[in-house]
Amino acid sequence: MTAPRRVSILVLTGLLLAACAAPSATVHPSASATASAAPLRAVRLLLGFQPDVQFSPFYLAQQAGYYADAGFKVTIEYKSDADVVRLVADGQAEFGVADATDVMISRTSGIPIKYVSTLYDLFPVALIGPKGDVPGPTNLASLAGKRIGTPGTYGSSWHALLAILDAAGLKETDVKIREYPTFNQVDGLLNGDVDLITGFRNNEPLQLAAHGMAVDMLTVEDVAPLPGPGMIVGDQLLAAEPGSVAAFAAATLRAQTAITANPQIGLDAAIAVEPTIGADRATALAVLRATIDLWRGSGSAPTGAIDQGVWEKGYATMRRLGLIDGSVPLAEMIRGVLTGG
Amino acid sequence: MPGRWRRPLASLASLAAFLVAWKVVTVLTGTPDYILPAPEVVVDRGVRAISSGILWPHLTATLAEVVLGFGAGALAAVAVGLALGKSVVVERALSPYIVAAQAIPILALAPLLDIWFGGGLAARVLVCALIVFFPIAIATMVGIRSTDPQLTELLRSLGATRGDLISRLEIPSALPVIFGGLRVGVTLAVVGAVVAEWAGASTGLGVLINIANQGLFDTPLMFVALVWLAAIGLVFHGLVVAAERRLVADR
Repeated sequence: MTAPRRVSILVLTGLLLAACAAPSATVHPSASATASAAPLRAVRLLLGFQPDVQFSPFYLAQQAGYYADAGFKVTIEYKSDADVVRLVADGQAEFGVADATDVMISRTSGIPIKYVSTLYDLFPVALIGPKGDVPGPTNLASLAGKRIGTPGTYGSSWHALLAILDAAGLKETDVKIREYPTFNQVDGLLNGDVDLITGFRNNEPLQLAAHGMAVDMLTVEDVAPLPGPGMIVGDQLLAAEPGSVAAFAAATLRAQTAITANPQIGLDAAIAVEPTIGADRATALAVLRATIDLWRGSGSAPTGAIDQGVWEKGYATMRRLGLIDGSVPLAEMIRGVLTGG
Repeated sequence: MPGRWRRPLASLASLAAFLVAWKVVTVLTGTPDYILPAPEVVVDRGVRAISSGILWPHLTATLAEVVLGFGAGALAAVAVGLALGKSVVVERALSPYIVAAQAIPILALAPLLDIWFGGGLAARVLVCALIVFFPIAIATMVGIRSTDPQLTELLRSLGATRGDLISRLEIPSALPVIFGGLRVGVTLAVVGAVVAEWAGASTGLGVLINIANQGLFDTPLMFVALVWLAAIGLVFHGLVVAAERRLVADR
């Protein structure tokens, strides 16, 4: 047998084995749960990248039994944002957390997910720079010519930057963009390589403050409102079990509400999952408090409700920016399962 | 069938079988395009990416990095490999650094190189060069040391200088092994380019993969970039093999 033939047969065999194995890997979770005798339904919850104090509601809901009260045994896993969306859409995981702007884009790309409850009332990304150097809503045009550091030309940071530039009547070519794919744009700002950076309001300002830099921020809601991150589910699960989805979202909101009232319990829950978070409790608590401000927005506590008005404005902005084409209506992207949604 | 047609036909048959198997997997499993797009979906997306012009800047950026990185890395590796093969002292002095540099994941090193070298093409070429260096340097050292000592003595007895020995005996006899290192190195150069682009770049097929995956949620476009990367690897590997056939056959 010649070498190319052997290679071909190996490739074919491998692919055919994959073909035989794949269906069992994509069995809908509800089917396996139904077959299980366990009283709690096992579900997968996908979060972004790595354990973080910002995910404390999920940790607390798991540790305090809120999910168990709602009938769930939750396994938390960390994936890239793109994988969260795909795996939830495919039914390989039941729940995930995603940026609202990514939901609009992925839904437009034909990925069957829906945003069902709001976790962040405010869009967490802002334009950040040294105090006095960040334009305000009334002098946005002074952004022209600025050197701006951002992780890449995708994701919530990029969407926020484009929305702000759009509000300023500028294009990306009117500023000098430097990419920091490893999310080290703070170093670029501290080194003077860039004038401004995109960053998370509950993170980068604290990092910069720790280096002695006083900062100002231009938030997205000041100039071009975009909806914040929230919980997503696949269309199939939402259609089949809307009650389960609502129960899961309510259990998460219960934890968010408890942490808003007492951030220490959220911090402890996060440290229980990832002990290194406790290495600097003061900073971790500061990040959590800043995160809570984003969860509740102008309210006293998070509600989980979907703000239709902000979504409509965000949808229009995303269309204007060419990030979505409008072929999928907003109604197919969101379905609130909590009060007011 | 004439012998000269056998190889290309076997390759084509292998490719066809792969595509058929890929298609069968997507049909049998009903996997959606956003998880595993069917081959014809990738082809269609590739055609649209070419006609819209979005592919070219990324393709040319990666090609430049691969060519420059492989060229610089291979030249340096052959020179260092020669020194390592000829001198035990040099080997003792340099080997720990070479092995340590190889043991450090390039994925961790690339962001630092991006910062140290200004985040431009030079930084990405350096990542490519570093990743191709080790296999070629080691292959060169091994090849040089495998020279037949009797032939060395024979040439010396005929009055050959040190330079004659290197250029007429040691390098030619080491060529098959060096080309083994070059074959490995040229495919690693493609990997190095993508890693470097992920560490800091605004164009390149690695960047396109990120944009397609995380920005556009366009899995078929991600596959288009992957197919182009594979094609670059195959073409450059083929060029090295062709050079090997010519040079080793002429030896």
